[in-house]
Amino acid sequence: MAGGVHGRTGDVGVSLAVTPGRIIATIALVLLAAGCDDEGWHGKNITGLMPELEFRLTDENGNRVSEDVFAGRPVAMYFGFTHCPDICPTTLARLAAATRRLPEPISQDLQLAFVSVDPARDGPEQLDKYTGAFSDRMLGLTGTQKQLQALTRRYRITYGYDEPDANGDYEVSHSSAIFVFDAELEPRLMLLDSLEVPQMAEDLERLLTMP
Amino acid sequence: MKLASAIVALVVLLAGALWWVGQMAPESPIEVDNARVRLVPGGGPMAGYMEIRNHSDDVIRLVGAASPAFGNVMIHRTILSDGRARMQHQSDGVRIVPGDSAVFKPRDLHLMLMQPKGALEVGDQVEIVLRFEGIAPAEWPVAFTVVPVTLE
Repeated sequence: MAGGVHGRTGDVGVSLAVTPGRIIATIALVLLAAGCDDEGWHGKNITGLMPELEFRLTDENGNRVSEDVFAGRPVAMYFGFTHCPDICPTTLARLAAATRRLPEPISQDLQLAFVSVDPARDGPEQLDKYTGAFSDRMLGLTGTQKQLQALTRRYRITYGYDEPDANGDYEVSHSSAIFVFDAELEPRLMLLDSLEVPQMAEDLERLLTMP
Repeated sequence: MKLASAIVALVVLLAGALWWVGQMAPESPIEVDNARVRLVPGGGPMAGYMEIRNHSDDVIRLVGAASPAFGNVMIHRTILSDGRARMQHQSDGVRIVPGDSAVFKPRDLHLMLMQPKGALEVGDQVEIVLRFEGIAPAEWPVAFTVVPVTLE
């Protein structure tokens, strides 16, 4: 801060000068005008509302893994299934594009995860092919119904299956938001399906550059 | 002289024939634009998107589709509500009133292209036959371009 030597004169100047409080207020106003919540997020701030990440699943390489696979680095996680031609690729492609927009080093730091809630059709090989289409850094995961339920219940989301048709094909309903965990694997943000690439990138950059 | 008359007669006849054919050919009752298939690897279903315009004076309805490149094609709509995503089969098809269009786009209406029969690549063209009610002929083959999965 300039003028630190003459404390009192400096104090008088504060009311006219640009203060951190005013900058924050201005940013908040600008963000409000841009259609954000009262904290300026495009997504939903879930800090402190849900338990830290914990799971036992199988990854796209066939390895049994826990949350330790992401330890020490933030992760953005989406729940879907590979036989989902519309919403899943749209959301995953937006997430991958938003990640590419982030500045270094946070762009390289953020890990991407796709959890299939359709283990009957999504084996490791299927998951590997699918996630590779979006990003080299997207890890495919799935598990038994018990393992998947343990994880989804933790974040108060559900999934379900329709009756199979004559060909044995069936639809799966699933959560449409992306969950973002910080490097300590605490849930921080839900990126809703309506967000487009620039908004996702803004939220991710803000979260990942927080002190 | 005889030859000149014959030539004139022939020209008149040809012109008349051309005019008649021109009158016969109707304006296409529908137009399909931006037809594309988003490539999803792994043998799972893919989505087909397009815009269908109804230039006719009648209400038309897209009731089905089929393709030599896919085992089964269905008309679906993605429904997003309360943080959940699900797909809804459009069993009554998609109705398009005269002068209007139906837009198949991500997070909305799409052709669900199931059981791909061969490996597709970006840039390939695949034929999808759209089946309508309310226009003749009922079946309209459309060339869809295969685009990357990352394209909206």
